[in-house]
Amino acid sequence: MAETEPFLIQRAQKGDHEAFAALVTEHQRYVYNLALRVLNNEEEALDLTQETFVRAWTALPNFRGQSQFRTWLYRIVTNLCYNRLPNLRRSLNDLGDDVISEIPETDNAFGNPAYGLESRELRSHLHEAINKLDENHRLLISLRYQNELSYAEIATTLNLPLGTVKTGLFRAKAQLRLALETYQESSWTIA
Amino acid sequence: MDNRLTPEQQNAVIEDALHTYPLASMPRDITATVMARIQAVPAPRPFRFTRNDFVIALVLSLSTAAIWFSIQNFPPLLLAQLRVQGILFYQDLIVNARWLVPAIAFGLSALLAAMTIPYLKQQLMK
Repeated sequence: MAETEPFLIQRAQKGDHEAFAALVTEHQRYVYNLALRVLNNEEEALDLTQETFVRAWTALPNFRGQSQFRTWLYRIVTNLCYNRLPNLRRSLNDLGDDVISEIPETDNAFGNPAYGLESRELRSHLHEAINKLDENHRLLISLRYQNELSYAEIATTLNLPLGTVKTGLFRAKAQLRLALETYQESSWTIA
Repeated sequence: MDNRLTPEQQNAVIEDALHTYPLASMPRDITATVMARIQAVPAPRPFRFTRNDFVIALVLSLSTAAIWFSIQNFPPLLLAQLRVQGILFYQDLIVNARWLVPAIAFGLSALLAAMTIPYLKQQLMK
């Protein structure tokens, strides 16, 4: 039977390698994905993922369980990213928190069968647009939508005010909207 | 016909794209590599207040208390003499050995700077 994460963490804190290996196996994909989205380089992301787990091992006795283990890991990842991309920290701080206080989240448009085949094209175009966003926006999007953290958890992980996180995501979506409009404009012109 | 999306539909499309943005797949499992790397790192030990820490703390606090208690109980004449000797020593220092204080300060700074060299070298080797 699979052991629960708190039990694995407890065993790893006592120096149990097997338990820590299970934690690495469980979380490596999410850690790697976050590193890759920020660094945009597979080899560097893989190296940073390994570094994250090595640091997690040495810092494990300090993990008191106030936050979730995965959130704690993401904090290590982002700190390592800050070391590799010195401008990342500044660009996140420069986002400010003056744009919006609440971000409305709409329903899934593709639940509507009217979109059909066009939806797949739009979706892949937007995925490309996400890849082209600035690293600070990619980091926020990855934490929110791929690692499924709440705004408050992102703010804690990145040590940023909640307003800055919301502003960052709002601006990222604004850029995606622009990319979508450009795409629609070009396809409409062709048609 | 212009069948462009309305702003609400745009929002929904963007939200969908964000929710379906795929997780990158790992090029390879790194568990073995990580475990090999942490073999070299000593097993983490939770912080513990050991007997040695207790003894050191006790000795330091007892010494401090003893010094303070002795000074309080010195005869006033001895205290005055100590103060005079201190002033004389300070005067002698600033007249005859003005170089000593800056030399000690620079020496200490150089020592502290030199102590960072092994760490910096280690980082460079990485």
